[in-house]
Amino acid sequence: MDITKATIRELRRALDAKEISAKELCGEYLKRIKEKDGKVLSFITVTENEAEQSAVRAQKMIDEGKSSALTGIPLAVKDNICIDGVRTTCASRMLENFIPPYNATVIEKLNAEGYVLLGRASMDEFAMGGSTQTSAFAKTKNPYDLECVPGGSSGGSAAAVAAAFAPAALGSDTGGSIRQPSSFCGVTGIKPTYGRVSRYGLVAFASSLDQIGPIAHDAYDCAILLNAICGHDRRDATSARRDVPDFTEKLGEPIKGLKIAMPKEFFSEDIDSVVREHVTNAANELEKQGAVLVECSIPGLKYAIPAYYLIACAEAASNLSRFDGIKYGFRGEGRTYEELIRDSRSRGFGEEVKRRILLGNYALSSGYYDAYYKKALALKQEIIKEYNEVFEKADVILTPTAPTPAYKIGAQDNDPVKMYMADICTVTVNIAGLPGISTTCGYTDGGLPIGMSIIGRRFDEQTILQTANAWEQGFTPVAPKI
Amino acid sequence: MSAYFPTMGLEIHAELLTDSKVFCTCSAEFGGTPNSRCCPVCSGLPGTLPVLNHKAVEYIIKAGYVMNCEISRFTKWDRKNYFYPDLPKAYQISQMPRPVCLSGNVKINVDGEEKIIRINRVHLEEDAGKLVHDDVNRISLADYNRCGIPLIEIVTEPDFHSADEVIAFLEKIKLLLQYAGICDCKMEQGSIRCDVNISIAPKGSTELGTRTELKNLNSLKAITRAIEAEIERQEELLDNGERVIQQTRRFNEQAGETVAMRSKEDAHDYRYFPDPDIPPIIFTEEELEEIKNSIPELPEQRIERYVSEYSIKKADADIIVGDKRVCDFFEEAVSEYDNPKAVANYIIGELMRRINLGEADMDALKFGGREFARLVQFMQTDKISQANAKTILREMIENGGDPKAIADRDDLWIKEDSGALAAVVDGIIANNPKAVEQYRSGDQKVFGFFMGQANKALKGAASPKAIQEYIRKKLSE
Amino acid sequence: MAVELKTIQHLCELSKLNYDEEGLKKVMGEMSDIIDLMDEIKSFDLEYDDTKDGCEIRFCDTREDVAEESTPAEKLLSNTESSNGCYVVPKVVE
Repeated sequence: MDITKATIRELRRALDAKEISAKELCGEYLKRIKEKDGKVLSFITVTENEAEQSAVRAQKMIDEGKSSALTGIPLAVKDNICIDGVRTTCASRMLENFIPPYNATVIEKLNAEGYVLLGRASMDEFAMGGSTQTSAFAKTKNPYDLECVPGGSSGGSAAAVAAAFAPAALGSDTGGSIRQPSSFCGVTGIKPTYGRVSRYGLVAFASSLDQIGPIAHDAYDCAILLNAICGHDRRDATSARRDVPDFTEKLGEPIKGLKIAMPKEFFSEDIDSVVREHVTNAANELEKQGAVLVECSIPGLKYAIPAYYLIACAEAASNLSRFDGIKYGFRGEGRTYEELIRDSRSRGFGEEVKRRILLGNYALSSGYYDAYYKKALALKQEIIKEYNEVFEKADVILTPTAPTPAYKIGAQDNDPVKMYMADICTVTVNIAGLPGISTTCGYTDGGLPIGMSIIGRRFDEQTILQTANAWEQGFTPVAPKI
Repeated sequence: MSAYFPTMGLEIHAELLTDSKVFCTCSAEFGGTPNSRCCPVCSGLPGTLPVLNHKAVEYIIKAGYVMNCEISRFTKWDRKNYFYPDLPKAYQISQMPRPVCLSGNVKINVDGEEKIIRINRVHLEEDAGKLVHDDVNRISLADYNRCGIPLIEIVTEPDFHSADEVIAFLEKIKLLLQYAGICDCKMEQGSIRCDVNISIAPKGSTELGTRTELKNLNSLKAITRAIEAEIERQEELLDNGERVIQQTRRFNEQAGETVAMRSKEDAHDYRYFPDPDIPPIIFTEEELEEIKNSIPELPEQRIERYVSEYSIKKADADIIVGDKRVCDFFEEAVSEYDNPKAVANYIIGELMRRINLGEADMDALKFGGREFARLVQFMQTDKISQANAKTILREMIENGGDPKAIADRDDLWIKEDSGALAAVVDGIIANNPKAVEQYRSGDQKVFGFFMGQANKALKGAASPKAIQEYIRKKLSE
Repeated sequence: MAVELKTIQHLCELSKLNYDEEGLKKVMGEMSDIIDLMDEIKSFDLEYDDTKDGCEIRFCDTREDVAEESTPAEKLLSNTESSNGCYVVPKVVE
């Protein structure tokens, strides 16, 4: 069986038809990982043993006629989602040997379905970055061009799907960390509405912005995976108490009459012309399918980067304080408690993580709180208001996913400001808690994928999945050659 | 006479009597082997999230009502960030700008005078763990069992001017929280703890002096002594022309003096910000009304009821209500034997006397209010003499048991055997002709002598009434 | 605007991070650039109203007070040094 282009639907059919066993299937992926991931470095840990054990269990479910959508489907899981007994590093020296004693809620849900864990996908350290180059263990490369970054922070997840090391993966998105690498690696990734998927077991970066979401070959597979992981969780007070629809339900329905807004700020000179061109062309294609294009504005975008970084880093500074070398994680040296924690943190964290902790504590510290953190919260309210206004006249919003296609490894080194500015297209979606999906809308002359984002109303993942799916029906993706 | 007057404010922490912890489902019981009441959430593992306990919120609202506070309709939680090994997340979940309760007041009585203490705020937070220091190996051992036990912090206005006022207030708060059923207030177990902010100023001054904060005070006695020692220390400083430095101090019980803890006050920047993991809560009027109505009868109401309905003396009602355990015991007894006055008298006169003598312990009584009530009833209805009732109570205190069974076993009932009574009294009269003569010539006092002799000889086999009547009859023959 | 050395030192104290002299110089430069970027927010002049976030939950949606079994201590302590069922902390200097 050719797994390089296989979707979850096709694998499901093959498994249920007994054309391939769950064990054979995971064997195929493990073999491919073994042969080719040395070039891409999408995994931090390949979980061969767990994979084989769960494949046996899955096969039993299939044989007993008890299979569901993901039974026997191999998946890669970003290395910041806790799995009981499986090393979870967050791509940080700090957690190099950390083995969680509990499962994240999404893992419990996937276990119930009988999924097969292939391995732990690399990422930027503690999900802080957009290139996966801050990973302490696997600086993932872009399968389309091994000299380019795969994006980040879920770069390992996106690259693994693009390189067909897994049919789909879980990522997490705080400011674009699912959508931007999906865009760079030519795959489809959705950040669900804040509260749609339980965060319990996701090692927190910024609690008010983080969401777990799927990365897959297309919107349809994203919908299947989303069906499995979402819903209210009693362990996460911020998870929404609302009914969960079948996210595949509206796929294939025509988008005639769908109102698509394109905020002008997202198509300014700051965005590469090649990106603008492809996203605009895609909009025109959707118009041909009956969608109506609407003009609109999100003026708050001007302040989006500081607002995002102030909120995210303030929360991160607090969330990462628990890493002190005492309870788990890298234990440094020191005769006193104070010395030990300083040494543990100074040597356990990478430079970008440290910068963000410093920035977060700056924003929260006495005398600066009102000018920075509180101002950022005011901006959050403003940005939510502006999005609400847009959604009064449009059903979805279309934007580029990133200002540029994948760039060369090293291009943003030593320039945090440039790195932060590159998040401009994605962060407001997290600030407003909206769902957003990125799908490939074209390729550069050099063959690098270009992504576009479709943003929906809160809890209206169905419509953005429907829109992305409608686009994908007329689009022929090009697989990377590795 | 001192030239200064002290001003104090209190921060009281009280642990709530919930079954589970405030942000996870571990047991909130006191103690346990180290880290046996912990889970990934209260141990601060990465990826875990707090989920607020409904009952903890209900309890703080009750606390607010019993202290006459305003209850916020919108409340939220904040993170207080600091590093300490008893705090596994390196932040404590607490409340800063929007506590559950604001501006209340509590009445206290000191030397017969009533005084109102204003409450600034009451908020809900989580307790920290415990450290055991091993000085030999220069390490500390951290136990997180206490992490996440729900705490309320009561912050008063600086309305206290003497240690007596502070103690009266603490006693009052203990009673209120105990009667409301939200805290057991066992200071020795740390379920209620008190920090004192204290400053002095020259008499007549309208400005407050620089304050210090006294921490780690673990008994009412220690609080009184610490306050007095600290006032004295500050007075000496001012008298010598020195200044009081704002700092945190602890009380050294052996030395009887307060000692500065390492003061890094200026470096403390807790960086409070809203906890993004815990959504704010809004209360409806109906929810608050329901909680308000569910508050059990409070001490003052009980005292009033005992005085008006049971005709118990105010002073006696104060004593009974003054200890929740005694009061619960009393209520149970009255439900068995509907003679509150007699029950109250015997509790105060006999049971509490023995407790004060150290013969019994209210926390470890081997019998309940019902058994006690039956004993009182036997005594009141002349089934058992007073002397034998004391014997039975002693037996109950030592070994427990039912008064009827003890009386049966040890043959302690009044028998109303007129033959035995007549034989004993006739004998006493025959043997004491002088006393008989005295009585008959009008000396009534000597009657007591006959009663005493008869009681002694009968050992409770006849009721005092029967003895009295028979002696009177014989003497007037 | 360059961030002052003492500000960075204070942030390192709050963050419990050590830098050597060179590292401190480097991070000071980076933080200055980052804070310049953050300063753009200062020209935004709306006030924050914490009652208008719309993310509150109802009181009845809080967790019911039911104690459940805890996690075995050995499991919680499996990622670190322990002694007598406790986490081992070097001496705290008071």
